[in-house]
Amino acid sequence: MAHFAHDLWGRGRGPAAALTPQGRILAGALLVAACMTAPAGSAAGTAFIAAVTLAWAVACGIPRRAAGSFALLGLAMFLPYFLLVPLLAMERPDAAAQAFPASAAGAPWDVFLHGMAGMFLAAATASSLGPSDLRRGLLALRVPGAVTAIVVQVLHQTGELLDETRRLAAACAVRGAAGRGKAATAVLAALPRVWLPRIIGRAERVAAAMELRGYAETDLRVFGAPPLGAADAAVVIALAAVLAIAAALRLGWIR
Amino acid sequence: MSAEPALLFENVTVRYERDAAPALAGVTLSLAAGERAALVGLNGSGKTTLLMAAVGLVGYEGAIRVCGTRVARSTLAEVRERAGFLFHAPEDQLLFPEALEDAAFGLLRRGATRAQAYRKAGLLLDELGVGRLARKPLARLSHGEKQRVALAGVLALRPPLLLLDEPSAGLDPPGRRALAHILDRLEAAMLVATHDLEFAGLLCRRFIALDGGRIAYDGPDAAAVKRLWRMEE
Repeated sequence: MAHFAHDLWGRGRGPAAALTPQGRILAGALLVAACMTAPAGSAAGTAFIAAVTLAWAVACGIPRRAAGSFALLGLAMFLPYFLLVPLLAMERPDAAAQAFPASAAGAPWDVFLHGMAGMFLAAATASSLGPSDLRRGLLALRVPGAVTAIVVQVLHQTGELLDETRRLAAACAVRGAAGRGKAATAVLAALPRVWLPRIIGRAERVAAAMELRGYAETDLRVFGAPPLGAADAAVVIALAAVLAIAAALRLGWIR
Repeated sequence: MSAEPALLFENVTVRYERDAAPALAGVTLSLAAGERAALVGLNGSGKTTLLMAAVGLVGYEGAIRVCGTRVARSTLAEVRERAGFLFHAPEDQLLFPEALEDAAFGLLRRGATRAQAYRKAGLLLDELGVGRLARKPLARLSHGEKQRVALAGVLALRPPLLLLDEPSAGLDPPGRRALAHILDRLEAAMLVATHDLEFAGLLCRRFIALDGGRIAYDGPDAAAVKRLWRMEE
């Protein structure tokens, strides 16, 4: 069972790694903002969104397998919106709707393009950040230590839970739950009563470890919070220009 | 050596549920400073409960002292400074994505500079044979490697008392011997909960056997434990 979403962190091997962790987080956030601002309804807007997304994915060096998995996930999530096209066409008995389906597909296309771009940009940014980079970057961006601790711990524990789930899935497979019939049904029906107590037990043990090790009362800044530097400022300035282009497209100043 | 025992249990009882049988029933034991003892017993005999009670992770009746300090809500921080605790599953204990960070965390917490903490943690990881994995994501380490990283985090703080829950579980034979060798060099008092009598024999000259939450044997004879478990006729 591949956990592409979680295994993605820090696996990217692109030139974006030369930026500071906070620079990568800022870049990802600003590019998402730019792509959300750019209109999907025009050819220039579509080209802008596609180019920005592709460029950041390449810069972060997102692994191909992960990119493929996200593409499939995105298609599964956003393509169904096109099923609304006939309904949207009926809602608009004006001249534009006569050009069915192109005009009625505008809204689903908007959702599809912005959704795919947002997802790919986030995935690419994640692939450029190891969990330790994420902590360093968030602290450098002055995100409160407690929030950073929670985010980093959620990420860390998600990996462990996925491993737990993988072991349970393997046990189900070897014990016949992956097949059909009464045995499989019985195992599957018992799954919540098996898995939940295991997860709860794990959560209790992790909480005990946190208590013993003083995790909650320690500010993660003990690991050091790098100051924002000239390189980060350069990233912000460069990407502000990208954001400005997106705004110009949205306002129709560029066609 | 300090005259104060590293760990003292006086008539300690632990109940998880009010009407159920106690997990520990009237346990009294003392572990001198620097002394090592293996805490053995079948599954469910109360080994982990005993270790958890020693650091205030479960409530108890009776009295527990760690290096002279009574284990109570108000003294937990002090007690936990003095007692290093290794969990049975290292996944529960490791809270950071990289080995070096995890091992350095306790030192940083206690005010060491980053350079000092990372250097010391790095040396310890080297000593435990996992120095090459210092910057590798913990999620990609094997169970035995994680166990050593978790141990590094405990040992880095040089506590006078070590409470180790199944430290050799999941380790291969060379790994077990190496771990016993490392622990053998420490001056800390140790209570090692284990089923692994061979490992315990490498490290301890005292065996405390629990049975149903009570001490069934406390002495130097591993064969007595085996008899208790009916491993020997």
